[in-house]
Amino acid sequence: MTSTSKPKAPEKKEQVHRVLLGKKQILVTEDEPLLVQLERAGIHVEYQCREGYCSSCSIKLLWGNVIYPFEPLAWVQSGYLLACCAIVKSDIEIAFFD
Amino acid sequence: MSYSTFNRKHFDSTKEPMFFGENVNVARYDQQKHPIFEKLIEKQLSFFWRPEEVDLSTDRKDFQRLEEHEQHIFLSNLKYQTLLDSVQGRSPNVALLPIVSLPELETWIETWSFSETIHSRSYTHIIRNIVNDPTKIFDDIVTNEEITKRADSVSKYYDRLIEMVNLYNTMGMGTFDVPGKGPIEISMPKLKKALYLTIASVNVLEAIRFYVSFACSFAFAERTLMEGNAKIIKLIARDEALHLTGTQHMLNLMASGKDDPEMAVIAAECQDEVRQIFIEAAEQEKEWATYLFKDGSMIGLNAQILGQYVEYITNVRMQAVGFETCFTTKHNPIPWINAWLVSDNVQVAPQEAEISSYLVGQTDNSLDDSDFDDFDL
Ligand code: FES
Ligand SMILES: [Fe+2]
Ligand SMILES: [Fe+2]
Repeated sequence: MTSTSKPKAPEKKEQVHRVLLGKKQILVTEDEPLLVQLERAGIHVEYQCREGYCSSCSIKLLWGNVIYPFEPLAWVQSGYLLACCAIVKSDIEIAFFD
Repeated sequence: MSYSTFNRKHFDSTKEPMFFGENVNVARYDQQKHPIFEKLIEKQLSFFWRPEEVDLSTDRKDFQRLEEHEQHIFLSNLKYQTLLDSVQGRSPNVALLPIVSLPELETWIETWSFSETIHSRSYTHIIRNIVNDPTKIFDDIVTNEEITKRADSVSKYYDRLIEMVNLYNTMGMGTFDVPGKGPIEISMPKLKKALYLTIASVNVLEAIRFYVSFACSFAFAERTLMEGNAKIIKLIARDEALHLTGTQHMLNLMASGKDDPEMAVIAAECQDEVRQIFIEAAEQEKEWATYLFKDGSMIGLNAQILGQYVEYITNVRMQAVGFETCFTTKHNPIPWINAWLVSDNVQVAPQEAEISSYLVGQTDNSLDDSDFDDFDL
């Protein structure tokens, strides 16, 4: 991705990824955890602590990568993510209860 | 095998299972088999709070102005919570300490149970403030049928485990005739099964049983009533969420077989029973909601909405320990409750929160009147 037309503003490398949720698609960055970005997009996600220790915000991760800048205290089931502290690192697909 | 308060054997505790290995000896935390329990201890210590820090003088006036059926809702919930924390303030210690084999887990159990005693002390603080005769309220906890029904469910697995471990420690393995109870078989698989079911039942207690009561407390506070109580409940809810993570880790570690391969077999065998424990608790909580509202509802809440909330939260909790969900409710019918349950109302990045909450002394400074504004029912 090369941009020659824009003046060279101090480049803030904003990695944008797609989050698929059912028929919806939300764009998120790596700057903040997934939860706040979903909320801003008007999606209700269950939460309690917002700090990674209660597991209330656990969501299914169908595919794609997320990382945790700090290891959450809550147990993360395989195939799930903790929305309050997960940073999205690729396009991902998520799902609530089936 | 009888219990010793200081096991003289030389062994590597990082090779022991969580339970039913060697009795612990040196309380050392420089090496841990499961570092998560050390982290839970630190987090719980950073949460420390005192009930007396919360001013309840306005609650007293509020309470007198509540309608009679609202007073019934408020007091019944207090009684039920008092029951739950009475059990939790002692049972993890009595039931689990004699069989624990890891120092970090032993200390987590003690720290956990200690925090439950703070909850109990806070109920006395609340009750003293709103009524003239606390005895009437406390006495009713042991006689009120709706409460004692629940007392039975929350204590039976603990009691069974304690009884079996007592036999194991005094008599060893075998089948023993216990007067009034008939023969009780003590074997390692039976002990481990009793343990697994106990943790499952405590997990359900921490996960589901408080939440009807929490919802009512916050619904009062939404109307700017009983706000001191709501502050206390917020602090309790923060602790309970951590306790829940503790029991979820224990259950998941057991089921994974990573801690003790034999436990994984037992966990698999107990699937149906654990499912039943979840469902039974959810049904009891729904009944509880009906009992609360028998003489009338309160603004924003009724038995049906609370019932759906119980089903929803049960699904969330089952999923967290790897179980299929069992209720059709897929949405939180009272999403406003989460804004009350969150520990810091200021939305900080989790990274920052992680750091700040490790600072001892960071208790409830973030709780002020602004926490209680702007939430609609
Ligand atoms: S909200 Fe508690 S772990 Fe995410
Ligand atoms: Fe408690
Ligand atoms: Fe608890």
